[in-house]
This record gives sequence, C-alpha cells and structure tokens, in this order.
Amino acid sequence: MKSIFNILIVLLVVLSATSGYAQIKNQKTETVKVLGNCDMCKTSIENAGNLKNVSSVIWNKDSKMAEITFDSKKTNRSEILKRIALAGYDSDEYLAPDNAYAQLAECCKYERQDKEPAMAVDHTKMEMEMEMTMPSTENHTDMTMSEIKEISNLDALFNSYFAVKDALVNTNPTTAAAKSSELLTALKALKIGSLKAEEQTTATKVIPSLLEASKNISETKDIGKQREIFKVLSKSMHELISFYNANETLYYQYCPMQDANWLSKDKTVKNPYYGSQMLSCGSTVETIDNKK
Amino acid sequence: MKKIITVLLLLGSLSLQAQNIVRYDLYVRDTIVNFTGKEKRAIAVNGQIPMPTLTFTEGDIAEIYVHNELEEETSLHWHGLFLPNKEDGVPYLTQMPIKPHTVHKYTFPIIQHGTHWYHSHFGLQEQIGMYGSMILNKRADDKTFRKGIDDLPTIPIVLSEWTDLKPENLHRMLHNASDWFAIKKGTTQSYAEAIQTGHLKTKLHNEWKRMLAMDVSDVYYDKFLINGKSENEDTSLKGLKAGDKVRLRISNGGASSYFWLTYAGGKITVVANDGNDVEPVDVDRILIAVSETYDAVVTIPADNTAFEFLVTPEDRTKSASIYLGEGIKQLTSPLPKLKYFEGMEMMNGMMKMNGDLDQMGMNMSMQQMDMNVVMYPEITGAAENGKDMIMEMGGEAPSGHNMDQMDGMQMNEEMYNSNELSDITTLNYAMLKSPFVTTLPEEAPLKELHFTLTGNMNRYVWSLDNKVISESDKILIKKGEKVKVTLYNNSMMRHPMHLHGHDFRLLNGQGDYAPLKNVVDIMPMETDVFEFEANSEGDWFFHCHILYHMMSGMGRVFSYENQEPNPLIPNPQLALKKLKGDDREFHLMAENDFATNGNDGELMAQSTRWSFGTEWRLGYNDMHGYETETHIGRYIGKMQWLMPFVGFDWRYRKLAHNEVEENLFGQKNTKDKRSVLSVGVNYTLPLLVMAQAEIFTDGNVRLQFERNDMPLTARLRMNLMWNTDKEYMGGLRYIVTRNLGITSHYDSDMGFGVGLNVNY
Repeated sequence: MKSIFNILIVLLVVLSATSGYAQIKNQKTETVKVLGNCDMCKTSIENAGNLKNVSSVIWNKDSKMAEITFDSKKTNRSEILKRIALAGYDSDEYLAPDNAYAQLAECCKYERQDKEPAMAVDHTKMEMEMEMTMPSTENHTDMTMSEIKEISNLDALFNSYFAVKDALVNTNPTTAAAKSSELLTALKALKIGSLKAEEQTTATKVIPSLLEASKNISETKDIGKQREIFKVLSKSMHELISFYNANETLYYQYCPMQDANWLSKDKTVKNPYYGSQMLSCGSTVETIDNKK
Repeated sequence: MKKIITVLLLLGSLSLQAQNIVRYDLYVRDTIVNFTGKEKRAIAVNGQIPMPTLTFTEGDIAEIYVHNELEEETSLHWHGLFLPNKEDGVPYLTQMPIKPHTVHKYTFPIIQHGTHWYHSHFGLQEQIGMYGSMILNKRADDKTFRKGIDDLPTIPIVLSEWTDLKPENLHRMLHNASDWFAIKKGTTQSYAEAIQTGHLKTKLHNEWKRMLAMDVSDVYYDKFLINGKSENEDTSLKGLKAGDKVRLRISNGGASSYFWLTYAGGKITVVANDGNDVEPVDVDRILIAVSETYDAVVTIPADNTAFEFLVTPEDRTKSASIYLGEGIKQLTSPLPKLKYFEGMEMMNGMMKMNGDLDQMGMNMSMQQMDMNVVMYPEITGAAENGKDMIMEMGGEAPSGHNMDQMDGMQMNEEMYNSNELSDITTLNYAMLKSPFVTTLPEEAPLKELHFTLTGNMNRYVWSLDNKVISESDKILIKKGEKVKVTLYNNSMMRHPMHLHGHDFRLLNGQGDYAPLKNVVDIMPMETDVFEFEANSEGDWFFHCHILYHMMSGMGRVFSYENQEPNPLIPNPQLALKKLKGDDREFHLMAENDFATNGNDGELMAQSTRWSFGTEWRLGYNDMHGYETETHIGRYIGKMQWLMPFVGFDWRYRKLAHNEVEENLFGQKNTKDKRSVLSVGVNYTLPLLVMAQAEIFTDGNVRLQFERNDMPLTARLRMNLMWNTDKEYMGGLRYIVTRNLGITSHYDSDMGFGVGLNVNY
C-alpha cells in the first residue's frame, strides 16, 4: 500500500515538474553570456527575457551565463537578447542603449566590455579626442573616469557643474545630487599648483565656497534647497571662468525672478531655477569665448 | 580632322544619352505571406514585398511594363515624379485601371533626381505590399552634385506596416468606430484607467466635448517593416568602418503610419526631403509623415559594431530596426509609451463645444509647435498622476513670478516647442532650406486657394471644407498660373497632404530658399502655405495620403483648363463616376446578442452622409414580444451630431389581460400589434448621449436617451437607455474577441438575460 502511495507521489512530482516546462512548446535551449553583477541583475535579466509560454531565462551571476529556453517557432535567441539589452544588459549579440545602462541600480553597473559606445553622452567630445590620441581603441576602454579627469581637471569641474545645472533644468533632484558629488570629487582632485599665480589666488578664494555648496547640494533631495545653493555655486564658478579655456563658447545667464545667474554651454535659455515651469525665462548677460 | 572627330564623339555621346532607355518588367501576383504566424494574402511584385527598387539616372527614359497577374485591377503611381498626366497612375483619373491578365506600359522621361517611391493607387492594395523605392540618381556632371553626399554609399529604405486584417475589413471597422484597435494597443482610456491615474475629470470633460478616446493613429498594426522586415541586418554594404558615412534614402510607404527615425550612432544629417536637396541639417530625430521621403546621412562611429537605426510608429506600439555596420549590435533607446491622458487634457483644452479647434491666439505652422509633446515622456517627463495641464495652459504663474513681465501667448507657444523644451532636436519644416533659390516667376498670374481640413473621428469622415471628393467639383487652374494654397487643419488628426505631378515651395520662413516638397504634413490647428507653378497639363490629384482618409474622400482634383483629352480615359463621365465611387461606399455593421431573454441586435449601412439602420428585439414568446425599428437618416453638419430620419416600427406582443400602456405624455398604446411610420431626429448630446425624438403616424410621440459603449474598463462596456414609453434598458458587455462578447442586460420588456454578442 505504502509503495503505491510512493509511486503516486513520484508520479505527481514528475508530472508537475514536466507541466512547468510543458508550457513552452518546440523547445530549444541555448547558453549565452550576459553581463551583470548581482542578484538584482539576475531578477532584471530574467524578467526582461521571460515571456509566458514563449521563453524563459535562468542567469547565473557567477558564470555570467544565461540559459535561455524558448519556443523556436515563436521567437529566437536574438529577440530574447534584445529585450535583455533594452533592460540595460550587454550580451555577445547586443549592446544596451547608453541610458538603459545608466539607469541601472548602482550595484548592477557591471564593467562594460566593448566600452566604445558606452560612455556617457556628456563626454563624447573628450572621448573623441581620446580616440585620436590613442592608437588602440581596445586599450582606452579600460581607462577609468578619474584618469581622464587628471588630464584636464578644470574640464571635469565645469562638466560636472553643467551636469548639475542640466539636472536642475530637468527638475531632477536625484541626478542633481549625484552630479554634485561628482563635482565635489572633481574639486578635491583639482591641483591648484598647476595653475598660474594669479589664478591660484582666485581659486583659493572661491574653492571653499564651491566645496561647501557642492557638498550641500549632494546631501539634499529637496529641489528648492538645491536651487538656492546653486545660486552661490554659479557665482563662484563664474569667478573661475576667466582662466578656463573651454572648447566652446559659454554663456553667463540671468534670471530676473530669482536675481540669480548661471553658466551654460547653450545660448538658448534653459532656466535651472524653475525647470519646465519657466524654462525659457531669463537672458544671456555675458558671452565667454576663451577658445584657443 | 581632329575637330570633326570631337564633334562626332560629342554627337555620339549625346545620342547615346538621349536613347538611354531603362526598362523594368513588374509582375504583379497574389501571394501568401506569414508575418505573424498566420498565413495571409498579400500582393507581391516580382515575388517580393516591398516591390523592387527602381533605379534611374536623370536623363533616362523609363519604360515600365506592368504585368497584372492578379484577379483584380490595379494601377501604379510614381510618387513625386514629374511626368505626363496619363502616366501618373491614378485609376479613373489619369487612366483606366489595368485589367487582370493584361500588360500596361508606363513610359516617361526622367527629368529630375532624388529619392522617390511608387505604389498602387488602386483600392487598398498599398496596404498589402504594393510599395517600393524609386531612386533617381544625379548625373555625375550635374552642377548640383554634392561631394561627400551624392557620392556616399546608399541604402534605399522603404518603411511600411502589416496587419493580419483584410484592409477592406479594417476600413469598414474604422467607419464603424470600432474600438478594437484601441483594445489591441492598450489605449482604451476607460473610466477605470482614468480613475487609477487620477484623470477621471479629464475623461469626463473629454466625453462632455463628445470625443471618443484619443490616439495619434487610427489603426493597430501587427508588424512594422523596413524593406519588408522588422529586424534588418543590412548586407548591401560590406566592410563599413569607423568614420564611414552612409546615406539612407528613406520613403514612408506605410498606409497610415508616421514613423520616428532615431539612430544609435549619434546625429542624423538630413540632406534631402521629398526628393529635393536641402542644406544639411543635424537632428536627433525625424518624424516622417506618411508618403514623405527623407535622405539621411549617418556616421558609423566605431569598428566591429553595428548601430541600430530605429523606426518607431507614432503610436509607439512596436518598432522596426536596421543595423548599420558589422559586429555586435549597439541598440538605441526605444521611445517611451505615450501619456494619453495628458494628450486628452490637451485636446480638451483645444476643442470648443461646437467641434472647432481653438487656436488660443497661437500661430501654429511648420511643425514647430507640437501639441503632442505633452504626451512624450522624453520631452516633458514621465507621467504624473492627476497633473492638471489646464492650469498651465491658462498661463497660471508659478509662485514668485510676476506675470506682467511675461507674454502669456508666447508662453503658451513655448510650452509646445519641442526643441526648446529638451536637448533632443526634432526636425521640423522650418529647418528645411533649399540650397538654391526656388522663387517662381513674378509676372505669373496668382491664383489663391484656401482649404480647411475637416474631419470627424466618430464617424470617420474626412474632408476638405466639409466636402468629400464626390461632393465637390474639380478645381480649375490655368497653365502658367502661380497657385498659392493655404491649408488650415481644423480636424483632430494630422494629415500628410500630397500633390501629384508638381513640387511646391513650402513657405516656411526661408524666403527665396523655401524648400521644394510634394507632401506637407499639417498638424491640428496649423496653417501652412505653399505655392507652385502650374506647368504640367492634366488632372492632378491632391489628397491626404493616409490611405483610409483618401478612400473616405479627403482630397480634390486640380484640373488644367482647356486641356487635351486624355487618351487613356475614353469615357470621362464613367471614369468620374467611378472615381467618386470610393467615398460613396456604404459600410456595413451588424450585431446580435443571443441572450437568455431574447435576441437583441441591429444592422446598419452607412456612408459619408446617409445611414440605413434597423434594430430588433425578438423575445422567445408572445409575452415578451417582437419588435423592429428601421431608420433612414441623413447626417447634418461637419461634426454630424444631428441626424433627421424617417422610420418604420413594427411590433407584436401579447400581454396577459390586454393591458394598455400609457407613456409620460398620457398617450395610450396597447403596443400589442403595431406597425407605424415615423419621422424623427437623432442628436448627440455632450457625454455622447444619443437623444432621439420621434413622432409616429398614430400620433404617439417618443423621446429616448441612450448611451452606448461606455468604457468601464479596457474591455468592459456599459449601455444605458431610457425613453418616455417608460421603457429602459441597462447592459454590460465584455469584449472577448474582435467579433465576440459576453453580455448581461436588463430590459423593461424582456427582463434579465445573459448572452453572447456576435458582431461584424
């Protein structure tokens, strides 16, 4: 009697196990490399790849290999990998869109293999210069951002400042805080000794206030406070402008409502103090053309 | 002696050029395709969809033999080409259609260059495969030859869409305001969705203004295609390396889809539009209107990588991709889903109670201000629940701002200026500039024409000045005139208006360098002006290129005065009648509810203005009774809210004790056996309530209020009805498939029932 019971249980287990898979017909299984880091990545990768009765993905975070099982009459490997790439994860067939990668949680930001197109948009200029000086494109992919910053620390400083400004224009306090902490890093990395004597005087004068302002912006998620601090930040940045050789024309712009200024690479007014509420309010008060 | 040889050589080369005849044979055949897992009928030319790319060089003579091996007629139109009128390929206007199993020869000299395309102009054949690229190359010695552009490697691209539905059925469904496409797209905009996202007020306001759910396109498509494929690995160009440039010659051969064009490898440089060169302009994205062409130059930024060129229909339901370069595929971000309720709020703000659009003092033209930006998350941010746009549209100032300093009107305009609102540069018409002066002879007599684009989504009637093709005369123009056309779009959809046989100057603020085009996409509330030289005799079609709008009658014919008769139209009267037949077509609709308490149903045939409809309620016994009501009516006005009708009612019922019923007006009626004539009127009230007043030959009067198809959830609909005969009805219908629903309803005559609804 007991053996019959056991047999029944075994049968049940076998049946239920097969029914779990039986949903995907014309099954085909392949193993592919998908880049990622952690358990969070595992969930995102599998969710992106799974499609009820059509495909299922199991990703191993240690080997970075994904086992994809799919109905070969309804879909194919490429379709599944494309969905995974659109969620931010590179594979051997697709590279994720840059902003899909950028939106990944911090722990999921795996090291991208083919780094060439993966750099953030803001740095495209820098990137192109790099390409020209570096004969091997393979190599520069491994270079970290801090190394680039050492090459021209004022560039890094201003770029972070513009990133903060753009975040405020877009009314995005999270990005503003993140970019502000990048600004803080850039400030700390600034080698005052490399500047000329009179520039050093100006720099030592404004750097404390810059440090404080960027620190404060990075520590709050309140857009109102960030914008208030940004006034001081912009004013101090403006003092540095005289000895910063940007590759392009910069504009010092003014918002009469807030009686405050800001710096921009863009001639068109995009007001960081109001964002979309009052985007084009304000005017250019100074055009800075230090191109060499 | 030497001189003579040179002269001879010159003559030789001249005559060679003059005789350069390029011949194509096109075999048009029925075929079966499988885009979605289901086998469906399509039309292939030389065995392929899209039709083969036809390539010519300016100065060639084209000879195209069309072998019609279909069981139906056809005809081919050469979109954007200057040619003799009888070669233009519009059935019943420039030629009689090509009969089945016959061969028709089109021949014309190629007197221009640029990216063009060709398609069937017969019926709805364009939807099922009859579109293809037509590339007219510049001669190498052309003065306008642009180094670095005209010598680039080129890929012809024709965009299109696929539906598993038969296009005739699709057209019928559009005319019956079927919301099946919205269900498939997930854009029903039901009350439940409105409540969830905090937009119930918006939804009710929308229905108050008598609008159905809003959308940017009419049809749900199963697939979107680049050269016939959704995923396209370009194999025509080998060995592309970093820094190489590629010229894409893009034609939108879609029957009703606009497409966003974006590129994973950076900016897109627009170098030509509608086959005419423009000064290069760098943009992040282009919205290509139905039937437009753009030449776009893109750069391959890296080795060993293929960059995605992404084509997304305006409704963003799906997409198609082509990968440029070799190696691992770098994707670009898909366009985020539209914020429909934001769009609905925007429409509520624009629409006046009488169905006209309110421009609010904005001068909109040339696609510079795009009201749709309120729906684009990439421009205006992700959806926020319950955000009240109306406040902002009213120009309400954020705190701390002094409104006196602001120009209220300007603010409104800036709210819709996509390029100001974001870092994304979207191409608009104002950015197009011809590389050379395009002015027309000043001494030419001026003829000015004005058209208002009109339409009615609820009944799918599309027209110019509220007249469809069959209701209007040909517009006479004289050879040598300068024709200036002003268009104003007072409808809720955008329309790509296309002129046959001519390029026009689009007056877009570029002065003498106005770009030459043959399609102008005009958004709701926009006013656009173009002018052209009447220099080519014949009857030329001017129409909306959305296939289903054209077939509904949205167009006109420009006809040259005193022109030679067209030898291909032996019987002009018959041809004209046939031409007008398209928009005179009646569209059939039928449904029946097989319920436990009886059968409930209706059958309707409607055209642009007329409606023939009959409704029935058939019980299963004499007590419940049997009744039918037939109405023949004519829709009045642009919005067609009013419909006077004559009717016939028949009813039989056996009540237990010869009961007599009394209506609200004290009129008595046994209703047991009745057969009466009536006259009455339907009027659509705000909130889409249909009011009906009817007087019968027996003197009885009836007032009825009915609201059908209230979208409770994405698939659940509610019907409510009450009339002065003290009859009422309430019902629910759950839409299971396109033709099937499950219903339950309560009816004052027949009681409670559940049933199965079958509709066509």
